[in-house]
Amino acid sequence: MKRLTLAAIALALPVAASAAPETYIVDPIHSFANFSVDHIGYSTLFGRFNRSSGKFIIDAQAKTASVEMTVDAASVDTGDHDRGSRARTRDEHLRSADFFNVAEFPAMTFKSTAVKFSGDSPTEIEGQFTMLGAAKPLTLRLERWKCGAHPFNKKQMCGGNATGMLRRTDYGMKYAMPAISDEVKLNISFEAYRQ
Amino acid sequence: MGAFLAHPAVQGGLAPFIVGIVVAGLAYGLRLAGIAAAAGFFAAVYLIGNFFFDLHTSMHKIVALGMLATAIGVVADLAFKPTRAAGAVLGGLFGLGSLWAFWTVLGNKPLAQALVYGAAVAAFVAWTVATTLTLHDDPVRAGAAGLGLGLGVGIGAVLGASSLIGQYGMSLGAASGGFLVLVMTLGKRVTAGASLTLTVSALTGMLGAAAVMLARVPWFSVAALGLVPLAVRLPLPERAHPATQVVVASLYALAIAGASLALAWVARRA
Repeated sequence: MKRLTLAAIALALPVAASAAPETYIVDPIHSFANFSVDHIGYSTLFGRFNRSSGKFIIDAQAKTASVEMTVDAASVDTGDHDRGSRARTRDEHLRSADFFNVAEFPAMTFKSTAVKFSGDSPTEIEGQFTMLGAAKPLTLRLERWKCGAHPFNKKQMCGGNATGMLRRTDYGMKYAMPAISDEVKLNISFEAYRQ
Repeated sequence: MGAFLAHPAVQGGLAPFIVGIVVAGLAYGLRLAGIAAAAGFFAAVYLIGNFFFDLHTSMHKIVALGMLATAIGVVADLAFKPTRAAGAVLGGLFGLGSLWAFWTVLGNKPLAQALVYGAAVAAFVAWTVATTLTLHDDPVRAGAAGLGLGLGVGIGAVLGASSLIGQYGMSLGAASGGFLVLVMTLGKRVTAGASLTLTVSALTGMLGAAAVMLARVPWFSVAALGLVPLAVRLPLPERAHPATQVVVASLYALAIAGASLALAWVARRA
């Protein structure tokens, strides 16, 4: 009888563990905050931030989750690295006081306030996004979400894509309006490993 | 018209120049022609549209301190004549003000670096204000100093990484140019006063510091601009027509500004 009880407990443990909140740490090598803006009404300019960190805690059974993410503003990268005959690159301009003002505001942060689920999967994250010292509500929609074991190292992980839209003027970034659109589209790709 | 006013060269150059001429002419009778510099600068701020009254960024604090400088300058011109001591006192005041403006930026640096940058910024602003304010009773030299300081800081910032700081700086140079047009026409009867010298020096001092701290302009090219208020003290052809004097004084100022820009350009290309 004692053996049977122990076996039952042993069988129940993984279930209990999966029901508990799990913490995932964002893998900076495979996670990027990408953005796009309209440029003078003719084209769409794409860029990304090369350095970010963060974590999320998720309890799929209880359908609760929280997310915290920090993006290094100075890591902005639109692929323009070579000055050539110019005095500056576009990325240097983006780091200046005209745009991301990285000397004064080196980090951008997102902190969730509510997460919506569909079944076991989160679908929408509401939170506060802080940029240039101003915090405003931002909603991210999870267009892709998958959890499972990494195919090679077998570690438990989750990954996906979140999209959203913000107006840069809400954060005080008013330079070059309207030549560079107020509307900034976000596409955040991420992978995270369970702790 | 909207597209015309949205052009950076109009916002930072043409519009402040025209506003400078018009306001200098309108305020000439009140002996406040010097507010032309402030009028041109704030016209640029309005047209660029990057400002709203919120003091949480260095750039917004600089614009707010520019308003304070203009107000003090006008009061000084109407109520009393600035003395040599006033230059040192106001220099010290705006030097401390610049520390307030850059407090967050300094706070993001390691302590030793923050102390060095903070001391250098305060000293540069104090020097620029103190040395420029003493030109208040010489419209030719005061206007030329504004022209050289504004264009030097502005073009230097564009060579760095910030068009916004560039447009703000150039607007002060352009508006000082507008003031000088009136001086060329009416001669030394036109008053520069503290309303021009304090506004131009406090703003260009802080914008120069912003160019270093926020736009990667080399510090030595901005430091070189501290020679502009000294250069315009070089001898002028006193018996010549005021227009000739303005040209000569402007050449002195622009020579220093040009040297500063050459330093910035060489450093960026290195």
